[in-house]
Amino acid sequence: MHPSRPAPAVEAIDLRKAFERIHAVDGVDLDLRPGRIYGLLGPNGSGKTTLIRLLAGLSKATAGEARILGTRMPSRPMLGRIGYMPQSEALYPDLSVAENLGFFAALQGARTRAAIDRVLELVELGDRKGSPVLELSGGMRRRLSLACTLVHEPPIIFLDEPTVGVDPALRVQFWAHFRRLAATGATILVASHVMDEADRCDELLFIRGGKVIAEGTGAELRAKANTDNLETAFLQFAGLDAEGRPVDGSPAQ
Amino acid sequence: MSARRVLAVARRIAEGFRRDHRSLALLFVAPLFVTALLGWVLRGSVAGTIDLAVAGAPAALVEALETAAADPDLDVEIRIEATDDVDAARAAVRDGDADVALIVSGSGASIGLTIVTQGADPTAEGSQLGAVQALISAAAGSLLPVPGAAMPDISRETIYLSPDADQLDALAPVFLGIFAYFFVFILTGISFLRERVGGTLERLLATPVTRAEIVLGYSIGFSLFAAIQVVVLTLFILAKVEVPALGPIPAFTIGLDVQTAGSPAIAFVVALLMAIGAVNLGIFLSTYARTELQIVQFIPLVILPQALLGGVFWPVERLPDVLQAIAHVLPVTYAVDALREVMIKGADFGSSVVQLDLAVLVGIAILFVVLGAATIKREVA
Repeated sequence: MHPSRPAPAVEAIDLRKAFERIHAVDGVDLDLRPGRIYGLLGPNGSGKTTLIRLLAGLSKATAGEARILGTRMPSRPMLGRIGYMPQSEALYPDLSVAENLGFFAALQGARTRAAIDRVLELVELGDRKGSPVLELSGGMRRRLSLACTLVHEPPIIFLDEPTVGVDPALRVQFWAHFRRLAATGATILVASHVMDEADRCDELLFIRGGKVIAEGTGAELRAKANTDNLETAFLQFAGLDAEGRPVDGSPAQ
Repeated sequence: MSARRVLAVARRIAEGFRRDHRSLALLFVAPLFVTALLGWVLRGSVAGTIDLAVAGAPAALVEALETAAADPDLDVEIRIEATDDVDAARAAVRDGDADVALIVSGSGASIGLTIVTQGADPTAEGSQLGAVQALISAAAGSLLPVPGAAMPDISRETIYLSPDADQLDALAPVFLGIFAYFFVFILTGISFLRERVGGTLERLLATPVTRAEIVLGYSIGFSLFAAIQVVVLTLFILAKVEVPALGPIPAFTIGLDVQTAGSPAIAFVVALLMAIGAVNLGIFLSTYARTELQIVQFIPLVILPQALLGGVFWPVERLPDVLQAIAHVLPVTYAVDALREVMIKGADFGSSVVQLDLAVLVGIAILFVVLGAATIKREVA
């Protein structure tokens, strides 16, 4: 333990989750520090969503433990300090932008006009306040979903594929905002299967088959794998060749 | 428990309704439509004329029957066709030329009467039989051995309501509780299913809201709409507003003008308890559905048996033992009983029957709340 480093904001100790006989999360150790953006990278079905749900206390670990700000999860009071953006849209289509936001803000105890206006401004939906969600485009819904996640200014933020279906210009704005949040001391974990977003993170966690197969900064991982390409690095850490076939002859997972 | 979060959930339900015109129509227009239709069917249907074929009767009897049928106080018109041939009378019934055949055999003290109907529509024939039997007893009076002995004048009175109360007067008050129960069940079932499928429940459970706050918020939100529904329906059932003829439109009345004895306020309490139970039954059963169609599939499984066994159409105490036992665990049974006690017999909160019904309904509502909350899967309460 380095005394100079801040206390971990998100911690996992040999965290495991098994469904029937499938080990979705298979012994993960994490130590995420405030003020940093962590990228959770891995293919579909690698356990990203299950890991985030365990950390956010939405599902109970089969073994091991998850801690948020030192409190063992699941813990209901801690949920107020977490912002969770699920992969699905998770909005009420019959409700307007402001009503959706107002509802989740109220559940988080942050229903103030100022908080709602501020976060709406942030995702540039200020002029669509009264529109029902079913009239919004996919990108606008994504922005509203992010706004619902951030409205109570949580110090811990879990984002499950936040930029899927978001156009490039907006994606840049999303990341600029994540960076501003991190600068204020928030801890952000972003799950993605898009490698070109990885360089926007401070640290990367490669996950495959429910296990973290490599972690470090983008530069560290490139150096370790001796390649400029993160995708190639991922395949190498996963023990696969350039075509995705196992190098050592063991069957692919 | 945070009142703020409970109200946020209730408010969300109300905001969703505002734009969901179809659900609003289901909640407010459908019950009025069905009740109005029922009123029209029960009150507007014509009693009709009964064609009675009489075979083998002595002339005196035929004459007595014709005299009795001519009585203007009879509810239905009975036309009598006398014939000597028993087979012809049977054929007339078979071919639809007569509704009922009366076949007289023997004579004097050993006279026998056989009444023949088609047997294809027991309900309609039942009322025809009643009319024919009334006719026979009226005719028999004039055939009594003592000439000139008049039949006593029978006048009718009822303990509850009045003798001219009809089926609608007995049925309409019961509908108050039933509609709130059925429509609220369907709406919450679908609404909560959308929460589960659409991912909003997941987002909800990622906030500090408790399961109790969710089910309570849902109950308040939907009960509010159920309450308005009950008020609208009560007004429609009790009102009688005459609309004068205007141009080509003939005069008509709005409202069913149903006879009631008790306080609609108690009926309102019963309907509200039913609605709270229905909200949580909807939440509970939404766990076992994947699509909105599957919620609708609960109607024949869950709703129809309750309508059949709950005493809406057939009295519970006349059901076979096994079905009676089932009826006694259905909330509908207690609601129907309470509504009849109050609206027809004029009972109030002081009545032990009403108290027992309300106590059971409260108990069932609490049970459903617990079941509903239990089906919201969560690692923390």
